[in-house]
Amino acid sequence: MDARTKPALRDEGARLGFRLTLPAQILVLFISVFPLLMQLYISVTDWSPLSGLGWWNAWEMWNSFANYTDLAADARFWSALKRTAIVMVVCVPAEFLLGLALATLFADDFPGKRIFYSILLMPMMVVPAVAGYMFFMLFQSGGPVNDILSAITGTRVTIAWLSDPTLALIAVMIADIWQWTPLMFLILLAGLVGVPEDQVKAATLLGANPWQRFTTIVLPKMKTIIIIALAIRVIENFKIFDTLYIMTGGGPGVATETISVYIYKVTTQDLIWGYVAAIALAILIVLSIVAVFAMKRMARARQVAA
Amino acid sequence: MSTIQLRNLTKTFGDFTALKTMDLDIADGEFMALLGPSGCGKSTTMNMIAGMEEPTSGKILFGERDMAGVPMGRRGVGFVFQNYAIFTHMTVRQNLAYGPKMRGAAKAEIDRRVGAIAELLQLTPLLDRKADRLSVNILQRVAIGRSAIMEPAIFLLDEPLSNVDAAFRAVMRTELKQLQRQFKQTMVYVTHDQLEAMTMADRIAVMDHGVLQQVGTPLEVYNNPVNVFVARFIGAPGMNLLKGRPAESDRGLVVDLGPLGITPPLPDDLAATVRGARGEVLYGFRPEQVALAQDGRGLAMSVTFVERIGARTIVHLGQGEGAVKAVFDNDVGLSIGQTAVVAPDALSVRVFDAATGVAMKAS
Repeated sequence: MDARTKPALRDEGARLGFRLTLPAQILVLFISVFPLLMQLYISVTDWSPLSGLGWWNAWEMWNSFANYTDLAADARFWSALKRTAIVMVVCVPAEFLLGLALATLFADDFPGKRIFYSILLMPMMVVPAVAGYMFFMLFQSGGPVNDILSAITGTRVTIAWLSDPTLALIAVMIADIWQWTPLMFLILLAGLVGVPEDQVKAATLLGANPWQRFTTIVLPKMKTIIIIALAIRVIENFKIFDTLYIMTGGGPGVATETISVYIYKVTTQDLIWGYVAAIALAILIVLSIVAVFAMKRMARARQVAA
Repeated sequence: MSTIQLRNLTKTFGDFTALKTMDLDIADGEFMALLGPSGCGKSTTMNMIAGMEEPTSGKILFGERDMAGVPMGRRGVGFVFQNYAIFTHMTVRQNLAYGPKMRGAAKAEIDRRVGAIAELLQLTPLLDRKADRLSVNILQRVAIGRSAIMEPAIFLLDEPLSNVDAAFRAVMRTELKQLQRQFKQTMVYVTHDQLEAMTMADRIAVMDHGVLQQVGTPLEVYNNPVNVFVARFIGAPGMNLLKGRPAESDRGLVVDLGPLGITPPLPDDLAATVRGARGEVLYGFRPEQVALAQDGRGLAMSVTFVERIGARTIVHLGQGEGAVKAVFDNDVGLSIGQTAVVAPDALSVRVFDAATGVAMKAS
């Protein structure tokens, strides 16, 4: 009797659970799965809002995966992707190292710590669009950045930051690092504070110097949190848009056109939505791979660190 | 191996005095327990010996060497933490090898030393296990091994058994004592558990409120407490103390306990000291050193509670200030409400000055 009632009861529980979560599941379906399917559907057509068809009739404009073959051959797409990768490879490590250094500094007490802490977190609170406008002003050829450089060098510096292809990209990266180092700092500080003090003391008593303690005890203990911090920033940085768009609009030319800017332009200027859907789907796949990789590493790190 | 000398050691945290002018000599190879209730300054003392905290004043000497300003990594001190502080992200082998590796020992040298210490501590089969899923006694051995591999002159242990469940503590105590015999290091052991101190230590330093109360062998501390605090703190249950006044009787000097009556006469050598005392005294005797008086000569008290715990029976007698406990090896035919006449063993009676709490020594 036991053997028969137990699964029956479990079924009953599962059914009840399903019924109770049904509204939430429908909601998730509508806000996540439905748009995804819609995107997938549109991405294999030439549909655009100007084509005079409802999106559900887009099948009439079926183009047999031409969007994807176009994408593979789209030089502007690939260079935008490359630019995004450059920004990511520079910004994320810079934010990480700065954040880690600051977190290490803030793990100890020093006078004025609370004030500095608040100041340090402020960039994160600034609306990205506002930050973009701020840096746009800072980097004007008659702006404060050049003024400071003039004061240091003693000659009148008039660098046209935002109209030089290389300097514009550097300016954009500086803005990103300024705004997002605090987040890295905050997450890493939380991780640092969680490192068991006794083990650090034990290492000291066993003769480890500060650098050895850091590499053999502190860093391994922070592995999980480091992976989380890096994953958040990699994904967010891949989507870099607001500050950048306001500072340079992707220019000069396409010099700072990252993947988000490119998608935005194709969407609002070229209006070829079928193609946009294809690009966005490709990006989603890339980011999903990053996320899955990070989560796998996290699970492994948790096993090791626990 | 090294002696430890504490000279006038004082530690204050702001207005709070954690340790007050402590003097203590710990002999080479001795197992010294620092015993006291929480907040008595024992951990502070230990942390200062280890170099985790700097003394406010006073000196710490290892042998002849003054330790002032010597950082903790250079003191040659092995420290076993309360929770062992094992590096959980490493294997047992990596834990044991940590010290030599950090000091840049050669790979072959590290392997040899890890092998030797693992053999000694019976950790060889566990060397490649992750340190995060080991039982407490293995953790204790890893913690000791990790420190012992550095061949420290001094071993400091900070309540290592406090996280261990009661049943396992006896095993751990035996193991720890054996390890100490093997290593022959000077050991300082901090605990609030008198059973640990009594069973393992060569000598015990009893502390309270930052003041060293008494230093002596376990039996000295148990038999001849220097003051009321030590008398009450050592022993389970602690010493019975009854307030009274010395009085002469035809059988010799007794203590008049007021409503409880007159005690049996004090031994002559103790009587000689007590006779000179003014004011009230505390008449003390161990609960274990009490007999039921057959001849009716003793303290007549009513039984308030009887704890029968198998091998022993603890009888609670009297109330309020006059409450005492008596421990008997066998069951006694007493029940609540009955009157029992108890006679403390004359030779084990101790008398304290009621005003100062200091023991009156037999002359």
